[in-house]
Amino acid sequence: MAKRVSVDRWLFTVTLLLIFVGLIMVFSASAVLAKERYGSGYFFLLRQLGWATGGLLLMVLAMKIDYRRYKHPAVVFSLLGLTTLTLISVFFLDRAHHTHRWIHWGPLSFQPSEMAKPALILFLAFFLEGRSKAMDDWRNTILPAVVPTLVFIGLIVFQPDLGTAIACAAITACVLFVAGMEMRYLGYGLLASLLPLYFLIFHVAYRRARILAFLNPYSDPQGSGFHIIQSLIAVSTGGITGVGLMEGKQKLFYLPEPHTDFIFAVTAEELGLVGSLMIVLLFAVFLWRGVRTALRTHDMFGRFLAVGITSMIVVQAFINISVVLGLMPTKGIPLPFVSYGGSSLFFALACVGVLLNISKQAE
Amino acid sequence: MASNTPRESTKIRLYLLAACLLLWCGGICLRLVYLQIFRYGSFEQRAQRQQQRTVDVSARRGIIYDRAGRELAMSVSVDSAFAVPTEIPDLAGTVSLISRITKSDPHELLARCKAAKTFCWVARKADAETAERIRSMNLRGIYFEKESKRFYPKRELAAQVIGYVGTDDEGLSGIEREYDDQMRGKPGEMLISVDARRKWFGSVEKQPVPGENVVLTIDQQIQYIAERELQAALERTHAESGTVIVENPRTGEILALANRPTFNPNLTREITPEKLKNHAVSDVYEPGSTFKLVTISAALDEKLTTPQEVFDCQMGSIVINGMRIHDSKPHGLLPVSDILAESSDVGSIKIGMRLGDDRFYKYIRAFGFGQQTGIELPGETRGLTKPPNRWSRVSFAAISMGQEIGITPLQLAGLVSTMANDGLWAAPRIVAATTEPQSTPQMIAFHPAEQRRVISALTAAQMRQMMQGVVLHGTGKKALLEGYSSAGKTGTAQKVDPATHAYSHTKYVASFAGFAPINNPVITVAVILDSAVGLHQGGQVSAPVFQRVAQQVLEYLHTPHDVELPLSRQLLLASHRVKEQDVAEGSPDHLGDTLDVAEAAGANPAPGPIQNAAGPSSASAGTAVVPAALRKHDAIPEETPKPPLAANLPSGTATPEHLPASGTVVLDIEQGGIVVPSFTGKGVRAAIEVAQENGLDLDAVGSGLAQWQSPPAGTRVLSGSKVTVKFGR
Repeated sequence: MAKRVSVDRWLFTVTLLLIFVGLIMVFSASAVLAKERYGSGYFFLLRQLGWATGGLLLMVLAMKIDYRRYKHPAVVFSLLGLTTLTLISVFFLDRAHHTHRWIHWGPLSFQPSEMAKPALILFLAFFLEGRSKAMDDWRNTILPAVVPTLVFIGLIVFQPDLGTAIACAAITACVLFVAGMEMRYLGYGLLASLLPLYFLIFHVAYRRARILAFLNPYSDPQGSGFHIIQSLIAVSTGGITGVGLMEGKQKLFYLPEPHTDFIFAVTAEELGLVGSLMIVLLFAVFLWRGVRTALRTHDMFGRFLAVGITSMIVVQAFINISVVLGLMPTKGIPLPFVSYGGSSLFFALACVGVLLNISKQAE
Repeated sequence: MASNTPRESTKIRLYLLAACLLLWCGGICLRLVYLQIFRYGSFEQRAQRQQQRTVDVSARRGIIYDRAGRELAMSVSVDSAFAVPTEIPDLAGTVSLISRITKSDPHELLARCKAAKTFCWVARKADAETAERIRSMNLRGIYFEKESKRFYPKRELAAQVIGYVGTDDEGLSGIEREYDDQMRGKPGEMLISVDARRKWFGSVEKQPVPGENVVLTIDQQIQYIAERELQAALERTHAESGTVIVENPRTGEILALANRPTFNPNLTREITPEKLKNHAVSDVYEPGSTFKLVTISAALDEKLTTPQEVFDCQMGSIVINGMRIHDSKPHGLLPVSDILAESSDVGSIKIGMRLGDDRFYKYIRAFGFGQQTGIELPGETRGLTKPPNRWSRVSFAAISMGQEIGITPLQLAGLVSTMANDGLWAAPRIVAATTEPQSTPQMIAFHPAEQRRVISALTAAQMRQMMQGVVLHGTGKKALLEGYSSAGKTGTAQKVDPATHAYSHTKYVASFAGFAPINNPVITVAVILDSAVGLHQGGQVSAPVFQRVAQQVLEYLHTPHDVELPLSRQLLLASHRVKEQDVAEGSPDHLGDTLDVAEAAGANPAPGPIQNAAGPSSASAGTAVVPAALRKHDAIPEETPKPPLAANLPSGTATPEHLPASGTVVLDIEQGGIVVPSFTGKGVRAAIEVAQENGLDLDAVGSGLAQWQSPPAGTRVLSGSKVTVKFGR
């Protein structure tokens, strides 16, 4: 048993800082839009503030609960089952805009795919804990380990939300890698995913357009290249110190989803290199403290859990930022803690609460 | 790495994962530095080029006014519809709906809309009904923008002078084209942008600068008279085309310039090149007998003959260098004045023979033939004149009677005006001024062009008298006015058949050019009718047009009568005058009437007050008046001192009908006259010569060098006015 230490203050502070920056940027990015759509410039800010408060309460709560109590088939499988159920139910409940991503519950709306990520992490940690020696056994270890992931990915892809599906795959890969899976299996997995990826990308018009736009945004600046170009314009306009908070122009008309997927572009434009590097740095610190927690946890369940949670946050953040900077094709992935979005923030904070609890019990 | 304990192995793998992620993080940081420092701002311009498009917002085109500030061409604000194709879900459907309303080609429109993603005109300058129909469909992605559209409130009036504009307000003919640069103004700019939601928004970035206004010398009422009479003449004579020019001979201002066939500049689709043609400046025709004015005035000016000298017209036949020429009518012995009155070709040839080729050519050029007059209209031709070294041995004879030479109707008007203007040729002008967009047309002043002496004032006076003879007892009897003396010359020229290059026996150009009244000419009127059917002589078909136009215009201008009216007319007039006074006292609105009054005046030429007795130039009222310019050569000059100019002029008696509403008289027809030269320092002999040259009557007091004169130099006076000069040592 690891001796009791206090929670990782770095992790705690970094999370709070990111939420704080997020609130400011959500307001700055959405005020005009909110005023236009809802009559109040504070619309998105207040909702985000509500979710952040709820999320922080949940985080503190999770921080107090011993993570080992989740290591129980009843908890793991009921979470998996619930996630599967909600992922299936969106196909029947949400018919808006030809996408099935949300479950609406009164004034609240909820994105089941956000729940899928923690559920997968918990399952993987639970399943792999005792199998470090059997990682070569693909029939009894690898295959069962990836079944829930494949099911979730399948369901999420057809929402359709390729971005979140890829995030799920990346998280699973990270955990499996740390758990000791041989590299060749990763290679096989990558190869096996190529064919469906090919079909998913090149046989869906808008995705193909996005990929082509990523390769050459200026081939169609008014169409598919629009988002990338606008994002790059925003970032390059920022310079070192930025144009000033609330002063950005790109968010007004050009940037798509300035308060969600492209909030980093708004930050880069308004706060410049200083602000954008600070956010990247905060995630780097998160990575460092998350990995440190995993290293210091001798309990393999805790270690896998910590790796899963850390990679979930950091990988999503880096994908989001890479998209904004034109390093990756456009994906609908939010920037954790910063982007506007209740479900994302809520589950991310809950996960951080678990991570903090692990850090508290590390050696 | 799998060799270690699982726990150790996971640690290594954790480090590896962390390293990978940190590498990614490093890549992101480098990318940020690259974008935000090295590419700082570099996307901006590129972005603006691609996201935004500037569209010109047309400036309000300048207004074209007549001399009294009445709008002849103006711009009104109308709706233009444009599409933002990216916002339109069903482009083909939307386009077909619109093309059905605007009756345009749907394929062409669709192609344009597809080519332009952000902005595409779909219905430019639509009329109110079309715009409303498009608006009422409430189509997505279709917007409206105010544009200015040209509107010609007087429709066909002076259409060839004013011209018309294309869709983009570009002047395509007439003044619209000649003054396109000035009237166009500077277009403003509208920025069209498309936001992330593909919504269009535009903002006016630069306000358009309105163009300058153009004030013409044309008088709308006179133009109406000229057009109406020309139209009537065409219907009567079935001529193919025709033109009427009304000019102020003193200043060269064109008061009316009418053409037939004509067009309505508001209906651009119906315009054909034929209707667009401004015959007055772009037609070159053989003048025929009207050109005898040149032959005879040149010979008189060179003192080679006198009006009284008698020529043998050889009963209408002459052989020139082996070529026999016939007169239309055999004449015997005729004085020069009758050669003009009867339009004898033989007599003209004999006079021309005295001139000699070079001298003749000098006068032809001096009268402005073979050169552009410089009038502010596009498409003016020079006419056709050959230099004497290319003349054949019979050329002088042909030219003497107006063949082998090509002139424009405007040049003919200039020739007659020179006779009326005491031998001074004034360049014809049709634009009085251009004015700033905000200013009112009343604020402009007309500066007459410099005038050049062609023949002496004496010759001009002799010509005027002889030209009166044409009307009184010659070929132009139908140009006789009521209450006014008139003078002119008829012309009938065979057209050259373009197929055979021989003179046609069926097609003639009938012309009459004259002026009135003869002592103090106020207007020159030139009438040219092309290819009249049936009667085709200038004296038969064109002189009546002159008569109708001149009669109405003089009365409209309230020119004092210089000939006693028939008794019946006097009674009629008197009764009208009583009525007019009643009306004037009863309702001041009367002054506001414009066209109706003028037309009424045309039908009943009455309302002009009779000023015969007061008119200084018509002291011998009741008879055909001796021209003032001639009188000065009589032994005793008129005893009446000339009153100041203004009192004589029609402006003094004119109602505000033809004046600007504000009452400021700047542009006035009678700004002509003679500018009194300075006599200071001249000897008596020199002073008399100068006075003669200028057509002034010198009253010399004392001897020595001129020291004082009245009226002072620079004053405008009528031709033949007396100038008193005191000489001393």
